[in-house]
Amino acid sequence: MLMTAALLWSLLPLLCQLLTSLRTPEALVLQGAGAWLEGWTLENYRLVLQGEPPFWRYLLNSCLVGISTTSLTLLLAIPAAYGLQRQRPRWRSALSLALLVAAMFPYVLLFLALLELARALGWGNQLLALALPYAGLSLPLAVLLLQAAFADLPQELEDAARLEGLNLWQRLRHVLLPLLGPAIASTAILVFLFAWNEYPIALTWISRADLLTLPVAMARLAGSSVYAVPYGAFAAATVLGGLPLLALVMLFQRQIVSGLTQGAVKG
Amino acid sequence: MTLLLMLPALALVAAVFLWPLLRYGWLSLQASSVLTALVAVPNGGANWRRLIGDARFWQDTAQTLRFAGLSIGLELLLGLALALLLHRPLPRRGLMRTMVLLPWALPTTVMALGWRWILNDPFGPLNAGLAVLGFPPFGFLSQPSSTWLFTVLADVWKTTPFVALLLLAGLQGIPGELEEALRLEGANGWQRLVRLTLPLLAPYLLLAALFRLAQALGVFDLIQVLTGGGPASSTESLAVYAYLNAMRFLDFGYAATVMLGMFALLLALCALVLLVQALRRRSGAAGLVP
Repeated sequence: MLMTAALLWSLLPLLCQLLTSLRTPEALVLQGAGAWLEGWTLENYRLVLQGEPPFWRYLLNSCLVGISTTSLTLLLAIPAAYGLQRQRPRWRSALSLALLVAAMFPYVLLFLALLELARALGWGNQLLALALPYAGLSLPLAVLLLQAAFADLPQELEDAARLEGLNLWQRLRHVLLPLLGPAIASTAILVFLFAWNEYPIALTWISRADLLTLPVAMARLAGSSVYAVPYGAFAAATVLGGLPLLALVMLFQRQIVSGLTQGAVKG
Repeated sequence: MTLLLMLPALALVAAVFLWPLLRYGWLSLQASSVLTALVAVPNGGANWRRLIGDARFWQDTAQTLRFAGLSIGLELLLGLALALLLHRPLPRRGLMRTMVLLPWALPTTVMALGWRWILNDPFGPLNAGLAVLGFPPFGFLSQPSSTWLFTVLADVWKTTPFVALLLLAGLQGIPGELEEALRLEGANGWQRLVRLTLPLLAPYLLLAALFRLAQALGVFDLIQVLTGGGPASSTESLAVYAYLNAMRFLDFGYAATVMLGMFALLLALCALVLLVQALRRRSGAAGLVP
């Protein structure tokens, strides 16, 4: 009963969007009992998918940014997390605290200085360049999550591998990382979600219409006038923009939950 | 050697977090706007004097605090309720969690656009519902006095799942035997919640509150897409104001000052929360400490 209420609360606004996206503009304005029988259409989806640039372009851009950010973050975070775990306890907790503060920081404050950097370095309108600030913003949480996972591995395991004569790279590659699979997966999905959803930096770094990421493209839609706006097309865009996330959450629900909760338990 | 492994990551983190703050410190002491052709000229703290006397800055501060206070309060309450619900054995638990988690995973701009339609006057679904009940349409997004409540609504809808998951992690750490022991002593559900669950959950509530405080004070995406700060600047947040100063008024020196002002506010509030926590610990409120 209560659970039903919770589900309704979280799904009703989404269902609204789905229904709206399937209605003609006339039907959205018409109210009355008979209005539900007619006025259904797929036209809104055609409009959005054949827009200039077409909608899938934004999805592709966001995907590219998400994948490059996730790869770069993991590449830097895994060695850093190992290094952090091997520091003396005092030094380690000081660094962890600093990382926790950074992870909680409202990063929207940083956009202006980052934009200046992008301009100075000629990184505006470079989709892949976004991976650098995104990785920098994701690293604190990623390092903390992975360090907690390293801390869970028994020290004897690495000692034994060292006695076998494995060097640091071999120990990481063949002994430690295979055991970290679940932690790496949760970290990766959280970083990907962040990069996929990020708004202020993408908004200021990218201006070319065919390079926009999904969140910025959606905000630009909203920037058109409040009146006489094609809400059916908006709704179709929100449904299309939401579907990849629905798929991600369904596939990786377990990893997302464990990533978030790990963060809480170890933080 | 191990320090070397951390170096690339730490360098990037420093570049992204520390450099901007240093840069703002410098910029806030310069005139750097269209008036100076975007060349930085030292202006002897004029930006800071302007900030002190800037009615719009203080109004936005009050509005941001009001937004943060109400949304965090509601999110902690609803998040706790949701976490307690999800903690019980449920059929298809994974699917339930997916559904509940979905609002949090969606890009803020996507869901803000969705809420703009839901709250639309007069055609949106909410007004259609009002019409069925016989009420006239209501301008949810055009009331300077009450529109901010609907920005809170959208934020609570999106962020409660996150708070619930943090608290769920805390609930799962409470041994079931404790609850059972209290039950045998004859404590009812409410007493068990107040005497056992809440005290043990306190560190998680504190963490969620601090995390949400930082995020809510920086609220930007939601406001920009849902209301654009309007009507009549009544929902404008500090981050939106800083953004306008930088990107619309092209006054980088003052924008940097506004952001540092916001940062100072955030530091002060976090210090306050931690201080209250420390005082409670000293006064011996058992269990209420991390």
